[in-house]
Amino acid sequence: MVRFITTRLATTIIQLAGLALVVFFAIRALPADPVARLVGLNASRDAYLSSQKSLGLDRPVLEQLGAYLGIIPGSSGLLQGDLGRSWVTGSPVAEEIARVLPITLELITVSFVIAFLISVPLGMLCGLRPGGVADRITFGYSLFAGSQPEFWWALLFIFVFFAQLGWAPPPLGRLNPMSSPPPFVTGFITMDSLLAGNMAAFKDGVHHLMLPVLTKVFVLSGPIVKMVRQNMVRALASDYVLYARGSGLWPARIAAIALKNALAPALTLLGVLYGYILGSAVLIETVFSLGGIGQYAVRSVLAFDYPAIQAVVLVIAAISLFVYLALDVAHALLDPRIVS
Amino acid sequence: MNKAMTRLTALAVAAIASTLTAQAQQSQLLYLAEDVPAGLNYDGPSVSVNTSQTGFINLMEPLIYYPYAGSNDDGVRMLDFSKFEGRLVERWENDPATKTWTLHLRRGVKSCFGNTFTADDMIYTLSRAKSVSGQAPIGWFLSSVAAIKGFDRSVFTGGSKELGDSVVKVDDYTVRITQSDPSFLFLMVLTNYGMAPFDSVELKKHATPQDPWSHIHANTVNSTGFGPYCLERWVKDDEFVMTANPNYYRGKPAIDRIVIKKVPQSANRTLTLRSGQAQLTQRLTSREFESLRSARGVKVAGVYGNETLFLNLNWKTPPFDNAKLRQAIAAAMPYRQIASIGYANQARRWEAHYTGVLNGYIKPDAQFPQDVERAKALLAEAGFPEGKGLEKYADAFKLAFTAERESYLGPIATTIQSALKDIGLQVQLEPMPQTQIADRRLVKKDLPISISDTEKPVGPDVIYATKLFFVSPGAGGVNNMANYSNAEVDRMFTQALIESDGAKREPLVRGIQQILQSELAWIPLVETRTQWAFSEKLTGISWHPDNSLRLFDLKLAP
Repeated sequence: MVRFITTRLATTIIQLAGLALVVFFAIRALPADPVARLVGLNASRDAYLSSQKSLGLDRPVLEQLGAYLGIIPGSSGLLQGDLGRSWVTGSPVAEEIARVLPITLELITVSFVIAFLISVPLGMLCGLRPGGVADRITFGYSLFAGSQPEFWWALLFIFVFFAQLGWAPPPLGRLNPMSSPPPFVTGFITMDSLLAGNMAAFKDGVHHLMLPVLTKVFVLSGPIVKMVRQNMVRALASDYVLYARGSGLWPARIAAIALKNALAPALTLLGVLYGYILGSAVLIETVFSLGGIGQYAVRSVLAFDYPAIQAVVLVIAAISLFVYLALDVAHALLDPRIVS
Repeated sequence: MNKAMTRLTALAVAAIASTLTAQAQQSQLLYLAEDVPAGLNYDGPSVSVNTSQTGFINLMEPLIYYPYAGSNDDGVRMLDFSKFEGRLVERWENDPATKTWTLHLRRGVKSCFGNTFTADDMIYTLSRAKSVSGQAPIGWFLSSVAAIKGFDRSVFTGGSKELGDSVVKVDDYTVRITQSDPSFLFLMVLTNYGMAPFDSVELKKHATPQDPWSHIHANTVNSTGFGPYCLERWVKDDEFVMTANPNYYRGKPAIDRIVIKKVPQSANRTLTLRSGQAQLTQRLTSREFESLRSARGVKVAGVYGNETLFLNLNWKTPPFDNAKLRQAIAAAMPYRQIASIGYANQARRWEAHYTGVLNGYIKPDAQFPQDVERAKALLAEAGFPEGKGLEKYADAFKLAFTAERESYLGPIATTIQSALKDIGLQVQLEPMPQTQIADRRLVKKDLPISISDTEKPVGPDVIYATKLFFVSPGAGGVNNMANYSNAEVDRMFTQALIESDGAKREPLVRGIQQILQSELAWIPLVETRTQWAFSEKLTGISWHPDNSLRLFDLKLAP
């Protein structure tokens, strides 16, 4: 097992290194100029050249790569764990990502847990009686939820729950802007407010998380329910369930056996979904002004902020790759044949 | 003992009640913006971003400024750009013979850090500008526009980066500045945010050997100025919180605390303002502003300032060097439809190359209102009747615009395409990312046709705008994206720049405007209204050439 994990880790690191190189050259190949945007359209030629020099863009590309990787003597780069400074804000990119990443992780993790808690029993129920009332209603819902883009549901929920009913707070981020946030520990507002014993901030944080999570859960639950249902149907039609039935086991016991087997493939899909949603969180973040990593990535791309783009791609890819790694390990534990 | 305890309890209750009342009375404003400052260093990378400017403009204080001159019909306070008033520089004297300006600094001005403003802050700020150590050397650029001695291109090619004798501290409250040449724009430059002094005592504390001018601190922590507000909290990409500077020399601001919150979706800014949970917002779509006009408790006000839209035809790309063709295109432009489709009629035809608020503006004689028959006749005079003969220039007829502004520039581009088709010109639309547009406009200067709405001269003077947009590089031009070149314009500009007599300068300024309009250096399309939506309890909205609100002027009724 240790060898299996070591090999997978080494593969992950090679993949990340390859990705870093691809991103480095790809953004420089695009027909755009970050300097012009930074100094403004009314800047003089001298100001432009001065800015270009201070960003290091007057140097040959291979020299820039050396500085980025940190292999040029005296430079600090990836090898030293330095992601550089943002060209837009001047702040260290690592600090900025440490601030925005937990916002997105909190949103999608809470959404995943809730979606899972709702979808698994629902999918199981549908799988137990295919074609029944619950199955037909769920089928209609998953079709309905998946037929509209996520941001559209978000805007609709804001209109209904904030503008019309007044149940939800305005879509102004993770907390009431006029209040003070709890001290930064994990970056998860709910956890940090509990750690600080600030129940007002905790309630406010949960309140502000309500609509973004509702939107995510609403859209996410559809595919999870479908998948659990399909796997349940398949598991219930299998020989071992037939054997269990023939052995006179209780229906609840049979369902539990089927669910265990139905959930294994679901694990793979959840991993894939998690990575996908992490990369596409920008829509929900923008609609609710959350300021997570998705918005940070889009801002960086639009500004051609090379250090930030390079770092965001690496961080998102690293998280996805490590989620896959964890899944592989989990699968290997469940099925030792994979290791061999 | 019991009595004493009762008194003590009563006192404690009274103290708590008084604290709570004070807190309740503290006025706060929630200002929703499309972004918050990305940096607070005007020599830094975010200087060209309006939301960043709003940050350092309200934390810093200009040397001199313009006085208010009443309000427009919407109640927006307007400035008189033909006059100056003292701010950190209380008064000044100019000796044309020696080309020196003596600046007398205001006494008793304190920063948020408790440091007193002195000549040392001026010397530090100008030395920092001349060091050109920031990523966007705005301080150097403005000083060069003001013709301060030594602020020339030599600093980039090994010349001295020391102030030398060009800026001298006479005493703690007097500074003498020497110019290399006279410049009419000297005082205008001193009004600009890019010349606002830093609190040198505070900023020097954050200097490092790698960053001796504390750019990193100013970019990421605080700008350390002498302005009306102090920075309380700043989370980039999220929020920017300021509290009133109790020591501000013009008096403590009326609003104690201002929270600028990033809300990227304009629809959400609109909705939140309508709900009464925010008091001020900006950069909505024209239709959202329209929807708020009838909302209860909300006001919308605007001004025709310096925001415009024009069609840039590159003089170096044939056939756009053909004067008659340019006139034909101008006469074909659907000004009214552009104002309606792109701006919900919150725009009007632009009849000049400058906007009416600029000092020295005149309405030029040559006018090109939409007239399809005249456009067709001009096209024939240009040698391309009904567009025949232009087939070989097909690559030039690609209309570029910023893809990120597709929501309103897209329909405008389509309207222009349709109008040009009516006179026989076939145009393709070419949306481009902002960074690519910036590269093609500023660096390569090779875009044949583009529509642009980003040119807003922060110096509210015709001569300054001329330097930015129309003067040849050899004559001191800065960003001549149209590659326009006219020896007479260059000559009049150079003469107007050094002319101290207003009566002699006026015909030069007038002449420049007449030539540009008759030659159509670019095709002016519409002037657009800069607008804000705000609670009806909020007053004091004012317009400034940088399009950033001065929060000191705002008042919020209980």
